[in-house]
Amino acid sequence: MKQRPLDINSNDNTLFTTEQCNNHCIMCCQPPRKIDDIDYYYQQNIKRVMLAPKDLPHIALTGGEPTLMGDKLFSLIRLIREQLPNTDIHILSNGRKFADPEYAKQLKLAGEGKVMVGVPLHSDYEKDHDIIAGSKGAYNETILGLYNLAIQGIAIELRIVMNKLNYMRFPQMASFIHKNLSFVNWTAFMGMERVGFADSKSEHIWIEPIEYIDYLCKAVQLLDDFRHEVVIFNIPLCLLPTKYHAFAERSISDWKNKYTDCCEQCRLKEQCCGFFATSTQLYTGIKPFN
Amino acid sequence: MKYYLLPFKFTRLGDHEILVNEVGDLLYVPIGTAEQIVNRTIEDQELYKTLVANFFISETRIPALLDVYAERLAEKKRFLDDYTALHIFVLTLRCNQLCVYCQASSQDECVSHATMSMESMRLAVQHMFKSRSKYLTMEFQGGEPSLEPALIRYGIELAEQINETEKRHLTYVLCTNSINLTDEVLGICTQYNVLISTSLDGPSFLHNTNRGKQDSYERVVKGIAKAREVLGADRVSALMTASELSLNYPTEIVDEYHKLGFTSIFLRALNPYGKATDNADWEAYTDRFIEFYKQAFEHIIELNKQGHVMIEEYAAIILRKLLTPWCTGFVDLQSPAGIVNSVLIYNYDGYMYASDESRMLAEEHDYTFQIGKLSEPYENLVYSHKVKEWAKVWNNETIAGCSDCALQAYCGADPVRNHTTQNDLYGFRPTSLFCKKNKAIIEYIISCVVDRNEELMPIFRNWIR
Repeated sequence: MKQRPLDINSNDNTLFTTEQCNNHCIMCCQPPRKIDDIDYYYQQNIKRVMLAPKDLPHIALTGGEPTLMGDKLFSLIRLIREQLPNTDIHILSNGRKFADPEYAKQLKLAGEGKVMVGVPLHSDYEKDHDIIAGSKGAYNETILGLYNLAIQGIAIELRIVMNKLNYMRFPQMASFIHKNLSFVNWTAFMGMERVGFADSKSEHIWIEPIEYIDYLCKAVQLLDDFRHEVVIFNIPLCLLPTKYHAFAERSISDWKNKYTDCCEQCRLKEQCCGFFATSTQLYTGIKPFN
Repeated sequence: MKYYLLPFKFTRLGDHEILVNEVGDLLYVPIGTAEQIVNRTIEDQELYKTLVANFFISETRIPALLDVYAERLAEKKRFLDDYTALHIFVLTLRCNQLCVYCQASSQDECVSHATMSMESMRLAVQHMFKSRSKYLTMEFQGGEPSLEPALIRYGIELAEQINETEKRHLTYVLCTNSINLTDEVLGICTQYNVLISTSLDGPSFLHNTNRGKQDSYERVVKGIAKAREVLGADRVSALMTASELSLNYPTEIVDEYHKLGFTSIFLRALNPYGKATDNADWEAYTDRFIEFYKQAFEHIIELNKQGHVMIEEYAAIILRKLLTPWCTGFVDLQSPAGIVNSVLIYNYDGYMYASDESRMLAEEHDYTFQIGKLSEPYENLVYSHKVKEWAKVWNNETIAGCSDCALQAYCGADPVRNHTTQNDLYGFRPTSLFCKKNKAIIEYIISCVVDRNEELMPIFRNWIR
């Protein structure tokens, strides 16, 4: 996997840590591979951090599953803290490894308050989550991991990747988050990128946003009612009721963001997330605001 | 279907059932659901998932996320970690009003035997700091405490002095009828940031009748205006108590609060203490209060819909218990009960009592809830045999009629009330008016949440901030 150069003007600067993962999410846009690549990327990332612009606003650690690096994760973070002291560090992780309280504590020590962890939650029901994550036992470890991160005071972004297997429980999930995960800093409902598994297994996984928008809006409303931060990623404004536009973010990384022909006539284009250039198909129901 | 039951309670509410788990999470489900759960015949797959996810049932004998559930329960009972936070100083029974429902057996302004000594104040303040709570509220009551400015000043200055080393968060509250807010009293309030909690029963005719004085209303309103001017509007709040007469005027009372610029009201029932005991047929009063509450509540909702800010505080407390995972500090609806755990009273007579109501009983020569002399060491008082006996009956999780009640998580235990009305600390729920009133109002608020969600949630969300 070739890494893009770190760019001060980009909204998406990442350190790719490994192609391995201990989950096997059915909609993964970057399906994991079992290859011994941790040292390779580790060495590469050390160089990347050393050469990175010093005032990079944020950097993301991604994969695969970055916690599979074990303690190397902490040395990499320490290096970032040393070389880029003002840079926010965003780790995208399934959170399972943090079920070990000691591991969560080590992250806290290495991160020095500059780390945020983004953790996907696929359902409030264990078995549904495990089916989507493609791994038995994933849910319980992830939930415990979230608690251990919270105990350490580490910022958490909860990510819900919206798909055919979980959309019907969005309102119940919102209620579950409100009651059981009220400590997360925000919850992001994320539209799927139609590549990787999400595309190749689309009949099981893919669902058009217009089919789940009602569930999504109910969930967003519930979280907002109780003053939890909630955002919608990757859903164009024309698919959302106006009332919910305020929750939608321009979330798609600049290097893979695109708009269609009909977007050219839309007066909300500048505020809209648009589409993934990487997706094989556009969403249905797209129409410009005139 | 193989699963294990976790502790939950249920009851019928209208044409549905409510299921409530140990941490107060509520599900509104069709009638017969509890039976299906027990018989392992749940038909609705999504409901099944919800029951598992929210700790009503478990697919393993011990839930894998038991620690999460334990943390949830610990959070709901977090007030116990805070220890006694509310400390009420009854400075005097002297009063300048003659309220028809006085629960505190107030005396005429001229009497001299009913005021706390400086020595008692000193001992009381020292006891207050024995509580390990990071937050201490020092609340001055009476009688009319503003008649004793020197005592207030002495108490606050002593607390400030001790706090130089203790470093607690101190809050001062003066419960006053606002008639005697002299420059001296307001000077103390300004200097030490004292909150004013006043009482106002409603429109002029109602307030004056309740107070037994012709010009009370006028003087209270003037007092409120003066206090707001000197201290700031947000430093002055008001409480109402519903006399029998008040029960005829729910909308008028709410409108009066609105007119005077208050943004919240606490619809408070009369309690059976002091002069109030002679006043009413309590059974009838309770039934009428419940109706009064609903009418006033609906009127408050109307005001909110018109865009005005008006919070009903009792409902807000219940809503926080119902709808949030967080601990709600309100001493009247707590288990373990508020007495001693969350509140202690230092009375003008030099004794410590278990609650505000406890010292009211003492005026009727019932000393059941007198803990002991302020000159005794704190440990001998708070850990006394008497208090340990109360501890056996102050959890609604363990007393009959409460232990299996679906509303248990939202309610509380009140041994003082049980003793007063039923002559039995343990109490008998089927005839308890405390139970009847709380059940009726809590059920009403639940039905508002579940049946009128879209209409009322936009309002409720502002109440539970």
